[in-house]
Parts: sequence; structure tokens; C-alpha cells
Amino acid sequence: MEKNILTSPQTGDSCIHVKHPSGLDIYICEMKGFSSVEALFGTKYGSINTMFKTDEDKEYTTVPEGIAHFLEHKLFENEDCDVFELYAKTGANANAFTSFDKTCYLFSCSKNYRESLKILLDFVQKPYFTEASVAKEQGIIGQEIKMTNDNPEWRLFFNLLRGMYHNHPVKIDIAGTVESIAEIDAELLYKCYNTFYNLNNMVLSIAGNISADEVLEICDECLKPCEDKGLETVFPDEPAEIVCAEIREAQPVGTPMFSIGYKCAPCMGMERLKKSMAAAVTAEVLSDASSDMYQKLLNEGLINSSFGTEVFCGDGYFTVIFSGESSEPEKVRDAVAAEIERVRSEGLNEKDFQRIKKSTYGILIRELNNVEAVANSMINSHMDGVSPFDAINVLSEMTSEDCMNFIRSELSGDKLVMSVVEGTV
Amino acid sequence: MKYNRIAFDGNIGFSSVTDEKFKTNFLIIRFITEMSGRAAENAMGISVLSDSSSRYKTIAALNEKLSSLYGASLSSTVAKRGDLQILGISSSWISNRYALDGEDITGEMLDIVCGCLFEPNAADGKFCEDVFKITKKDLLDKIDAEINNKRGYAVSRAYETAFRGEPAENPRSGTREAAERVTPESAYRAYTELLEKAQVEIFYIAPEENPHVESRLREEFAKLRRCGQECRFNAPSPLKSVPERASEEFDVRQSKMVLTFKTATDDRCALKLLSMIYGETPVSKLFMNVREKMSLCYYCASRTIFAKGALMVDCGVEKENIEKAEAEILRQLDEIKNGSFTDEEIESALLSLENAASSVGDTPSSYVSWYFERFCEGNIITPQQLMDEYKAVTRERIVEAAKSLALDSVYLMLNKEVQE
Repeated sequence: MEKNILTSPQTGDSCIHVKHPSGLDIYICEMKGFSSVEALFGTKYGSINTMFKTDEDKEYTTVPEGIAHFLEHKLFENEDCDVFELYAKTGANANAFTSFDKTCYLFSCSKNYRESLKILLDFVQKPYFTEASVAKEQGIIGQEIKMTNDNPEWRLFFNLLRGMYHNHPVKIDIAGTVESIAEIDAELLYKCYNTFYNLNNMVLSIAGNISADEVLEICDECLKPCEDKGLETVFPDEPAEIVCAEIREAQPVGTPMFSIGYKCAPCMGMERLKKSMAAAVTAEVLSDASSDMYQKLLNEGLINSSFGTEVFCGDGYFTVIFSGESSEPEKVRDAVAAEIERVRSEGLNEKDFQRIKKSTYGILIRELNNVEAVANSMINSHMDGVSPFDAINVLSEMTSEDCMNFIRSELSGDKLVMSVVEGTV
Repeated sequence: MKYNRIAFDGNIGFSSVTDEKFKTNFLIIRFITEMSGRAAENAMGISVLSDSSSRYKTIAALNEKLSSLYGASLSSTVAKRGDLQILGISSSWISNRYALDGEDITGEMLDIVCGCLFEPNAADGKFCEDVFKITKKDLLDKIDAEINNKRGYAVSRAYETAFRGEPAENPRSGTREAAERVTPESAYRAYTELLEKAQVEIFYIAPEENPHVESRLREEFAKLRRCGQECRFNAPSPLKSVPERASEEFDVRQSKMVLTFKTATDDRCALKLLSMIYGETPVSKLFMNVREKMSLCYYCASRTIFAKGALMVDCGVEKENIEKAEAEILRQLDEIKNGSFTDEEIESALLSLENAASSVGDTPSSYVSWYFERFCEGNIITPQQLMDEYKAVTRERIVEAAKSLALDSVYLMLNKEVQE
């Protein structure tokens, strides 16, 4: 079992990567001086993985919306007890989350990390579902769905995705709907579990006050070797065109909220990292709080300090988003589009580009200051097909021409979608 | 790690923590004052400070400077603790050792923070109108946006019901009506009063010692004619003679319920352990019963509000299940009052508290939260010392703390559609 030490030439920080004989990828970062430990055990299985097969299947299986999230809930019940009862004996703070492309089980603690790590590795490898426990969970998740549907940011974001994507399952709600989760039964859960919770499709990321040797000893003890079953996930064909340019919804909110997104071409691995970082720097140069556009919109009362940008990407989807609050979101959309056209013809200001690059470097340094952020960064980068310190390398090599290329090739007016949540009070 | 707190003249505390594991510096200056009808002026006065200064006269100029300093942050904060309003200027920046071109980031940030605080963008007794106008709109939008977070909004409305007639009933940034009345002059007056009269607590967390930060702030505050007031950090709220029920209807899919209990106990450690067992962890009575056994809620949790002698339980629930959920929430409290909890439940609560206490110091903000809260409680102790106090709590003390709780009020955010 080979330990690869990955080091950032810019900061000197390092972590260890091990490909465990069980098939699991393991990332370990010993952080001197910190008291706490953050561990995430994750599978590359999220809400978008609705169609899949392995070498053992003849046909692709299609599953109900929200099943990855449902599975996450149900894994916390063992045959003989609730997993939280086990963690209660170590004091660890345990949780889990399901996103578009991953499900992660995690704990944070400052005492007894070895025992907590054993619990984590053990329960995730031990599914136990019954029809009664599935029925019980439908009530709890039904309440979670209603709660998130009352969250205007959530609705704003999913409406934006629905305006962009015709077929890609990124447009479906992570938890599904009350109707879709009613279709889930124990048999389907086992099918999904056995497909995606194969250690060859999983990662362990652990950072903080730990010893790498101890972590690996516990992994040797707890991990059951897995045969790689040739998992294939597929996505329906997705046209480059958007679905519609505008989606509106009414909710109890203060000032109306908007999200303006450009649908961009998806890509994978290192190409995606480079493109997403160029997109993030571009969006900041165009609209950070010192930019002309931001100042103009602010002075005209068209935005407030909630205005911000985000790059959202994964397998089969890529978008750059400008969002905030405005009583006249159409004017903000027009201003963003006009500014992009201006920069497309006049070019980016090199001084602004260098300043934003410096600012982004500062943000990446800050992430190394925090046990939770380091553990999350290691698992996210692995699942994105890159190494933990690649982002800082990519940034150091980025030029303003990379940003201009992104603007020219991706920020096209006919790919622009606006989602608005208007108030009802 | 090295913690040190010294007092400047005029009721100002300066706490510093030097911890070499950090890559960033963190500086926060907090002004503590009674929650009053001037809450909106205070909030505006502090907010406008982090938007510009006499040197960086526009939001753009200030932000351009901050981003050139490797994305340094500067923001204002407004919070409420009991009957007090806590206003702050908070800043953070990467350590000089990560500067690519050898810049003195710490020196520049100290200049910027002091500039914003002591040389604001103001003249003739009022803030610059252009910046003020933007900041005021921002504050009004933030007040309006409180409804966006339904859970937070319900808790905020529950505060108003539970603490009616007390300073704590006010929203942290004042009401919308009060915010609308604020002028560049009244906000400036509020700012000067905060500088001169509010109790001030400063925290500086950094990887290396920098005596210049302390001396510079001491000098700047010494230039003022300060008469720092003493604040009352604890103001227990009286129990209503009959529990009050308040409800509002909204276009929401899920109803919310907030129950406020009040207590006259001063046994805070027992009250905290009771709350842990009752509803603060995934093995608590509320989680295991209201959520897991009865499937009524996705969240149902308790929290202590020591400064007001209160404990709150909040949950998201179907309208038709409200009565059932309330009955179970009360029944679970009765269980604790009757002593129906195990030694394992006490032990797991202690382990959970110990886990949190041992993590203090892993982020700069955790040091600030810890030492500020201890300062407010009037007992600056270490996490280990507090753990020792928790471990000394007996089963009988937990039962007594539970028995001291009485229902004061219930706030309901109701789903309009279901009602119709």
C-alpha cells in the first residue's frame, strides 16, 4: 500500500493519498496544533445519478427522484440500533449530506476519533432496510421537502436549473418530491446501495489532530475488500440550448430575489477545474464590489450587498451565476449582459484581473486554516478528478487571456436564464 | 496558544490570542449597549463604517483596496444578546508570511480598520449622504429579508411574544419603521455615542504577537472622551400568568411552532445539561421521539437563552399535527421532570459538550465566541474549567432545572392553504 505525499509548492502544505487494497481512496491531512478531527466517508452518488448499470446488469436501471438522499437517511439505522446512539458514546458530532453528485457521511470530534472512525466505516458498510423503516422515513423526509420548498433561495436556484436543462437530472430536487419518495421501497434501496456503495466508488477524507498510521490501521481493520463491478452512470442527451429565458415564482420574501445564469458547455477533471476557476475570476472581475458595473447598479438602487457570483458545475452541467435582490431584476440582467458584451469587445482590465487573482489566492489560503475546509477540499477535489492542491496551481498559472477565452466561448446572450422569486407579502 | 486580556481606560477590554497554527489574522471590535429605541440608528451607524472612510470614500474604493490585500474582509455585525445590542466591526486577512510581494498586510489592515472606525466618511456632524443612502437601503432590505428564512423568522417572532415589554422584544437592527426614520445626522450621533459610551470588547487572534495592534487601538480610543457604561448582561424575563398563544398565517408549505419556557433557576450548568438531554443532539428526547418515533418533524430542537432565563423549542410541522407535536414536546419535558432519563443520556450529553469545548481554538472565531460569552457571564474560564462544572452536575440538579421551567408562550407560523 503506497502512501503518496501531495504537497503544495505555493504554501508548503501537504496531505497523504493512499489507494487502499479494498479499493477505497483515502486522503489524510495531519494538521499540527489543531484539536479537532473532521472525517468524511463519501460515495460518488448523488441526486443526478438516476440511471445506471454495472457489469452484472443487462439493462440500465432508472430510479425515483430523491433516492440517493433517502438512502443517506436510512443508513443511519442499523439492524440493532440507531447510529447516533453509537456516536453518543464517543461524543462525536455526526451528520451526512447528499448533493447533486455525492453522498457523504461525516463526523467532527476532538476526542475518541479512532472509535468514531470505526463507527463511520462500519455503519456505512452495513445497510439494513425494512419496509416499516422506509415508511417511517417517508414522513420525516416529507417534512424536509416541505421545509426546503419554503426556502426561497432553494426555489430560486432550482428554477434557474429548470430554465437551463431540458433533460439533465441536475434540475430535479435533491430530496425528490413527496410523490417520488412514495415509490421507494427496501428492495430499490438495496439495489442502489449495492451499486454505488462499492469502495471502488468511494473516498475517505480525514483531517486534523490524527495520525496517518493510526487511520490506516483502522482502515485495514474495518474495510471489506470490494470487487470493482464496472459501474456506469449515464445521463440523457442535453441540448446546448436553454429551456426558457425566464422563470418566476411567488413566495413570502422581502425584496424580490434573482439568479441570472449562463448555461455553459460541461467538461471533466482538470479541464473543469481550469474552466471553473477562470469562470470564477471572470465573474468577480466583472462584478465584484469595486467594479464599475456593481457601483452603477448599487448607486441606482438596483442591487444591495447580497449581490454575488457563483460557479456551479459537475458531470454534464456548468453554469456561472450572478444573484442577489432587486425590485427590478430585468434591469440587472440587462446590465450584466451589456457588461459582458463590452468586455468581449474591449477586453478585461489587466490590473483588475491581477487584483482579483490575488484576492482568490487569499481565499484559498484561508481554506487551509480550517480542519473542516481541508477535509472537504480533499474529498471534493478527488470526486472532481483532480488533486487537493491543484486549484492553487491552476490559479498561479492563470492569465487574463484564459478569462477572455471563457467570455468569448461561453457567455453568450442566448444561453442566459433568469430566475426570480417575487414576494407575496 | 497564549490568551491575554487587558483593560484600556474607559471600560474597554482588549483580548489577544496568539496561536501559531493559524494562517490568518482576525480583529473584531464590539460595542455593547442596551437594546433601545435607538437600535436602528446604532445598526446604521456601525454599518456605514464598514462601507467607507475618510480615506476610502466610496464602497468601490474600499473594496478595491481590500481585494488587493489578498481578499481581506471588513464587515459590520449586529447581534442581540438578552436585552443588549452587540455591534461590531470585524476584519480578517492572511498572515504577512503568505504575501507574494512582501506586503505588510497587517499594518495596512490596521490602518484601514482604524480609519473606518475613528476617521469615518463624515463631515459637519453627518455621514456622507451618498454612502449613507446605499447603506440605509441595504439595512431596510435586510430587515425585509428576515421573512426569507422561515425558521429564523418564527424564532424572532417568538422572541417578541415571549419578551414583550422588555428590550429583548426588539429586532436586533430595530424595526423597519425606526430604520426608515434614520438620517445621516442621527446615525452619526449614534456612532459617536457608541464610541464614547458603549462598553467595548476587542479581540485580536493571530499567528504571531503584534504589540502594535494593541498600542494603536489604545492610542485611538484614548483620544476620545470616553465614559464607558456598564451593561447588564443578564435580565431574566418574568413568566406570564397564563401562557400566551400567538399565530400568523403565511403562504408556506410547512407550519412552524416555537415554545418558550421560562425559569428562575441560576443553575446554568444543570439547565444546559437538561437542554442537551431534551433537544440539542440526535439522541435527545425530542429527536428520538418527535422526529424518529412519531415522524412528525424533520427538526425539533431546544436551545437555552441564559441571558433571559428561558429555553426555547422550535420545530417545523404539518398544521394538522401541531397539537400532537406540542403534546409530545411537553410530555418529553415531563419525563425529565419525573427523572425518566438514564445515566447514559447524561453521559452522552457530557461527551457532546466536551467535544465542543475541546474544539474551541480550532478557528479564530471559536476563540472569540468562547471568551466573549465567558466575559458576558462574568467568569472568564477555560473550556476545561467549564467542563469540570458540567461534570459536577447531579441527576437531582437536572430534575430541579426541568421542574423550574414553565411554559410562557407559543408562537405559530401557520400554513394559509391548510387553514382554508
